[in-house]
Amino acid sequence: MLREITEDEFYEDIREGLVLADFYSPTCGPCKMLSFVLEDVDKACKDRAEIVKINVDENERLAEKYGIIAYPTMILLKNGEELKRVIGLQQKPAILKMIEEA
Amino acid sequence: MTDRISYRFCQGLRARQAEAERSMLEEFARGEYTLEKPFIRRNPYLINPLSAVIGFRTREETAVTVTVLGKRREGTVSHTFPKSREHLLPVLGLYGGYDNQVELRLYEGQARRFTIATEELGEGVPSLLSLHREPEYICEDLCFFTPSLGALATAFDAWGEVRWHLTVPVIFEMTPLKNGNFLIGTERVVEMPYYVSGLYEMTMMGKIVKEYAIPGGFHHDQLEMEDGNILALTEGESYETVEDMVVLLDRKTGEIRRTWDLKNCLTPGEGASGGCTPRDWFHGNALFYDPNTHSITLSGRHVDAIVNIDYDTGELNWILGDPETWPADKQSYFFARTGEGEFDWPYEQHGCLVTPDGGIMCFDNGHYRSKIREKFRLNKDSFSRGVLYRIDRETMTIEQLWQYGKERGEEFFSSYIGNVAWYGEDHYLVHSGGIQYDGAHASERPAALYQRDPRIRGESITVEVFRGKVIWEMKLKGNFYRARKLLLYHEQENLPLGEGSFVGRMGVTPEFGTQIPAELCKELLPARYEAELVEEEDRFVFQAVFEGGQVVMLMLENESEEHGYFISTAKNKFNALCCGAFIKKDPRNITLNVNKAGLWGVFDVRVIVDGKKYETGIRIACGDQKRE
Repeated sequence: MLREITEDEFYEDIREGLVLADFYSPTCGPCKMLSFVLEDVDKACKDRAEIVKINVDENERLAEKYGIIAYPTMILLKNGEELKRVIGLQQKPAILKMIEEA
Repeated sequence: MTDRISYRFCQGLRARQAEAERSMLEEFARGEYTLEKPFIRRNPYLINPLSAVIGFRTREETAVTVTVLGKRREGTVSHTFPKSREHLLPVLGLYGGYDNQVELRLYEGQARRFTIATEELGEGVPSLLSLHREPEYICEDLCFFTPSLGALATAFDAWGEVRWHLTVPVIFEMTPLKNGNFLIGTERVVEMPYYVSGLYEMTMMGKIVKEYAIPGGFHHDQLEMEDGNILALTEGESYETVEDMVVLLDRKTGEIRRTWDLKNCLTPGEGASGGCTPRDWFHGNALFYDPNTHSITLSGRHVDAIVNIDYDTGELNWILGDPETWPADKQSYFFARTGEGEFDWPYEQHGCLVTPDGGIMCFDNGHYRSKIREKFRLNKDSFSRGVLYRIDRETMTIEQLWQYGKERGEEFFSSYIGNVAWYGEDHYLVHSGGIQYDGAHASERPAALYQRDPRIRGESITVEVFRGKVIWEMKLKGNFYRARKLLLYHEQENLPLGEGSFVGRMGVTPEFGTQIPAELCKELLPARYEAELVEEEDRFVFQAVFEGGQVVMLMLENESEEHGYFISTAKNKFNALCCGAFIKKDPRNITLNVNKAGLWGVFDVRVIVDGKKYETGIRIACGDQKRE
């Protein structure tokens, strides 16, 4: 299930396993659209990866730390390490492929 | 209260030109036109206001010379047409807003002069800021500039007078063909910001002789192969990645005969330039076929490199660029610098070409001038230049032979466009087309997105350099994608008649696979969105105004099918814009182009805005269905 998290929860969440972090802004149309896509992705990828959403406006320090310069930005992390980063709205097959290949 | 949003059907330019030509020929056929009283049709193909057709008949077969008298003697444009009894002659090189004196002279016979008055040219004409010409400089060629921002394709004579101009935003490179026509990108955008439906083969009169549709769209550059087929830059039909493919088009049928996908020999993300994005990872902006090595040379702006691939296998032959940051398995493809002379690598370069003796030329934009983020140079501290390298593929070494522009610093700096031309030994053209000032210094922001910012001043400087000396320099207001020198007339058919043809295939517009929940409200899309739908024979264009952050999708629906197209309302949607001609003044303005290819049936057009599905009152017929 998609979860909205804060900076404090983020470090805990990414420690183990595969996590897809969606850095978004609530004022961005493509970010809102991506939420619908990620809901679909979440259903399709079952337990393969956890999907978390981070509001960059409320978590500026985290966004800065991860060098978020545009949104939406998705970062795929494995055991806390960044594997892949994708900027912009993506379609479900591309996101699923990214998760499957991790 | 209207029952639909604004709608109009727009006949394509090719069809409108065919109609205009038919009417011209009918009128000419009906009249008794003589040398003394000829038929004159100004702007016969609707988009070149500095052209005309003159028609008359003579009793005997005779050759005719048409002359547009120059405002100064050297500006006179003249061409002699083969003998005939019926003369329907193209007139090119008129001045705008001027009573042009045009002379018709029969071979060894009489001559008559006429006045062809033209209207003032519109806003799309660039302004000349300065012109330098060495006293001994003589050149009959015009210098053609193609659009990058607001101004349209225009040609100046050597004295700075506008003598050719098109009133539609055909874009990118203007490539002359062996038959005298030229190729240029169409104005039919299929995917923003500048991916157009394909290429027009056009005459200097502005007539479309042939339209080549390319499924993945067209961008930046094309050339004619020795057998007449066309090599063009494109991308995959899905637009998942862009500007990373080359196709060979069959000249007769427009079919794709071969495809080279750069992803097969390079890995996206490797050797990334400062402007690289995951989607636009290569940014192919120029291509050149070299028959001596049977290879294709491509300029990849977003890898800071010129790459050469084998024509037959598509395998990588070499990479010309700064090898820093490239992985170990690619290092052997790079050249090592040799010689003691001055040397710089190109960064985010454009317009590569191979000289007859194997030299490699390009316009080195010098954007960022490093591959390391920490070493990126500001535009105001960088330089752009035309540069010529000599490469040795045996020893994999490289030497810099010539450059022009570095010494001019930011005055000549173009972050995003430019080209060079080779005219002979030590005789080159260098076009710095994208100079942008923000106040007193080079702008550090993307040019196309700030083109209407009053603080931004755009310029373009084009120089012809012969034996180290600038013999001609033209400075224009605004930015121009490329510059090229061409003659107005050629020795083949200058006025081909008959309806232009359409070949190739329009791509299937990518749909958005995820459905979003929306309440069918059965209301018309509110007027505040200023929505308009313009239908063409093979596609439609939806335009509207939405605020940033709104979630918008256009839907095509009928009883059995549903097709959704996402509309981005993000403020800054585009990054590397070599051509901002289609960018709207108000960033809230959105444009969605949907090709009818791949769709069959009659569809209701609906628009989802923030969870509400609105009616547009428009039905679109695709395939062999008719619009209701």
